[in-house]
Amino acid sequence: MKSSAETILNLPSRFRLRPIRIAEISVLIFLTIAMGLPLLYLLSGSFNLAAPGKAAVYGLDNWVRAFTDAGTVSALWMSFLLSVVRLIPAMILSVVFAWLIARTDMPGGKFIESICWVAYFVPDFPLVLAWILLLDPNFGFLNTIAKSLPFIDAALFNPYSFWGIVWVHTSTGGIWFKVMLLVPVFRRLGATLEEAARVAGATTTTMLWRITLPVLAPMILAVSVLSFIRGLQSFNTELLLGTPAGIYVYSTKIYDYLQREPRAYGEATALGSVFLVVLAVLLFFYWRYLSGNKKFTVVTGQGYSTLRVKLGGWRYVALASCLLYVAVMMLLPLAFLVLGSFMRRYGFFSISAPFTFSHWHNLLADPIFLIALKNSLIIAGATAAGGILLYSAIAYLLVSRRARLAPLLESLCWVPHVLPGILLSLSVLWLLLATPLRFFLYGTVWGIAFALILADSPVTTQAFKAGLLQLGGDLEESARVSGAGWAYTYRRILLPLLAPIAAAVGLMNFGSALTSISTPVLLYSHESRPLAILLLEYSFTGELERAAALGLLITLIIGAMMLIGRKLGLQLSGGD
Amino acid sequence: MKQIFVLMLVFQVAGGAMAWAQTKASDKEWAAIVEAAKKEGKVVVAGSPDPVMRNEVIPKFTARFGIPVEFIAGRSSQIVSRVQTERASGIHSIDIYLAGPDTSANELYKDKMIDPLKPVLALPEVVDGSKWKPGKLWFADPQEQFIVRAFSSVASLLFINTDHVKPDEMRHFKDLLNPKWRGKISAEDPTTTGAGANLAARFLSQIGEEFIKALYIDQKVVRTRDRRQMSDWLARGTQPICLNCREDDVRPLVKEGFKILEIFELNGIPGTINGSPWMLNLANRAPHPKAAQVFANWILTKEGLETYAKGYGSATLRTDVDESYLNPGNLPKKGVKYFDDTDWQWIVGGRHENREKAWKILKAAK
Repeated sequence: MKSSAETILNLPSRFRLRPIRIAEISVLIFLTIAMGLPLLYLLSGSFNLAAPGKAAVYGLDNWVRAFTDAGTVSALWMSFLLSVVRLIPAMILSVVFAWLIARTDMPGGKFIESICWVAYFVPDFPLVLAWILLLDPNFGFLNTIAKSLPFIDAALFNPYSFWGIVWVHTSTGGIWFKVMLLVPVFRRLGATLEEAARVAGATTTTMLWRITLPVLAPMILAVSVLSFIRGLQSFNTELLLGTPAGIYVYSTKIYDYLQREPRAYGEATALGSVFLVVLAVLLFFYWRYLSGNKKFTVVTGQGYSTLRVKLGGWRYVALASCLLYVAVMMLLPLAFLVLGSFMRRYGFFSISAPFTFSHWHNLLADPIFLIALKNSLIIAGATAAGGILLYSAIAYLLVSRRARLAPLLESLCWVPHVLPGILLSLSVLWLLLATPLRFFLYGTVWGIAFALILADSPVTTQAFKAGLLQLGGDLEESARVSGAGWAYTYRRILLPLLAPIAAAVGLMNFGSALTSISTPVLLYSHESRPLAILLLEYSFTGELERAAALGLLITLIIGAMMLIGRKLGLQLSGGD
Repeated sequence: MKQIFVLMLVFQVAGGAMAWAQTKASDKEWAAIVEAAKKEGKVVVAGSPDPVMRNEVIPKFTARFGIPVEFIAGRSSQIVSRVQTERASGIHSIDIYLAGPDTSANELYKDKMIDPLKPVLALPEVVDGSKWKPGKLWFADPQEQFIVRAFSSVASLLFINTDHVKPDEMRHFKDLLNPKWRGKISAEDPTTTGAGANLAARFLSQIGEEFIKALYIDQKVVRTRDRRQMSDWLARGTQPICLNCREDDVRPLVKEGFKILEIFELNGIPGTINGSPWMLNLANRAPHPKAAQVFANWILTKEGLETYAKGYGSATLRTDVDESYLNPGNLPKKGVKYFDDTDWQWIVGGRHENREKAWKILKAAK
């Protein structure tokens, strides 16, 4: 009879507990608990027909009610249309921006990149109001100017329309997020392939189309999937601009169920499950594309060059085009937002003495402000650091040829992206309360940071994964041949090469943690209230000007963090 | 002399709560309650994040009793979701809910999340019926034990910008259907939970289906879900008639000189009173029961309610609160029969049914 040790030793190699297998199983357990259980909780809740606190009664009524409700299908179609129409031009523009910034000799690339970062974190609610001030058919600034022209009688622009929503989205969410994620991977692309193409007589456009885009496909696809689902879930802009025009989107339907008294979580989750289906379909095609014979490696141990494409005289045209886009889509509404924070009433220039410092003064004098600021900085710092450590390791497992559970792990990582914010918050609340985590995390800044780290998993994992896919296996093999262990290789070879991406996603998560409202909304306590919740409270009570001031302050903090990041050598780009 | 010394000591312990020291026995009991409350360390209050609560009510309470208030502010939907999940895990974190009528009746009371308030109300000026307009404390629930209604104001029916709509043009509810106002009326979206749907439910119940179709559909009422957007439209005259603007949003506009008129009544439809901004509920298994008791008593005193009502602009049910700050239209008139929008039967049944009907009608017509 064999001993258990002998049994283990004689197991086929695929069953042996190698370090990578232990890591894989550990991550699977963590993700199952952190992402899978809450999802299961929500899905099972959608079939529960009983009132809260009563014994569960299961049935399909919530699902039937949700999907037969008048307007559900048309709202889903409208969300799909808006998401697709926004995605296509935004992706094209983002790729062009990222390419110009990272792969060409266009001057001012870093400045444009910095603006994209700041733009992404400008709070969208007051920014939408700024666009209303600019485009409203009755009093909009741009329409007023247009109507003063001799050949224009009626308003040219109308934000309360399908195309108005598309336009404003392009400004608020638009290309900024995509450029932030794409630039680091574009920078990481070695110039060897492009140089070879150039030697073979390829034009710049051919190189971009035939070389650059195909090797960067994993990140471009991931960003497209992320943006498409985010587009389906989009809500704030549609609420302000769509409702007056009778345009209702799918997220609005979910929101309505969550606002009912008593709450209709079952119906909301049933509707939210559509996002899961969409994600499953998109992931299927994504994996199928990546699992072919295509190679995405751009960094190997055999020499590395990052020479940029020379645009000649066109580089100034490119810069001017980028600046024009940034000026129209961001600086123009941002100027109104800054102005708004100094106005007695946002957008009312005709009242006597329309400007004041009182909103800034009231904000800084609010006794909660400093406590909330401290909480926010702790939460954001912990979220950024925790996300980098956790998801760089998970991404490593995802791209490792030896990891057998990669599709399952990756699916779990996507879960937070398909749950509408408030449902994610509810599920994390349940997770914190139903497990021993409640003794350490519930109601604390660390609990909020934990929830935000979970919420960040899709973007962070995909960013690291795309970065790792660019690294050649020979780097690791060389280290291993030289006697380095996995941990040493990870720390000394992979992490430094991933530093630009780590810095980018770290800052992005830092900013998201400062601005996220839906994730902490059910988790904060009096002591752990962050700035974003304070902003929500100001907006809720109609103190729009003070909310605008706070939103700008948060944006300034993020801008300062970016500068500090650069000073400390955490170059977003990884340098040239 | 000894008696005076003891009395002073009691007052000191009570944190200067002399205003309620009406009988010696009550003083002692109250002082003991306050002392026990202080030992609990704090009171946790959940409610709407209005600035009056944070900037005026809480500092005043803490200054008087030395008991810190943890204020969990948010939409009632979010607070109830959180509390229900907490309670399912055996956590009871809230002491007092200052909640709207819907949340109080259809969630807190219905789901047995609250304890009777009546037994814990001890201050003479709170339990003294002569201090209240109805002749007694108004408990809204059928048992008259759980939910205290402290406010009753005449609710505005609509606001008009008189630069664009003359008051004479808006006398009867049918004036809203004048083609002149097509596209000129704004309302909170009546197809989702909120003030917009509540008004549509009331119109449906009091006037009928044809009216809400004619108003919301034929008149092309401009809908929004953002209260600030409505008051801005009203001030600019883009939509000079606003069905669901809030008085606290409009008040600053009037101060700025915008010619905005609050209309409380229209011929053909009775005026409305309501219990806004909140109703008082005591959480069951409250973690700080004595502190909750002190807060519940104090918020119903002249000082507590007056502080809140002045900041918010609502008429209280107390007889001794200064009401000179109010728009006279807010005060219910004697002898006038109002529709009570916070009536228990309406909240738990009629409003819900009519809201559902209104949703069906309006969604089908979209």
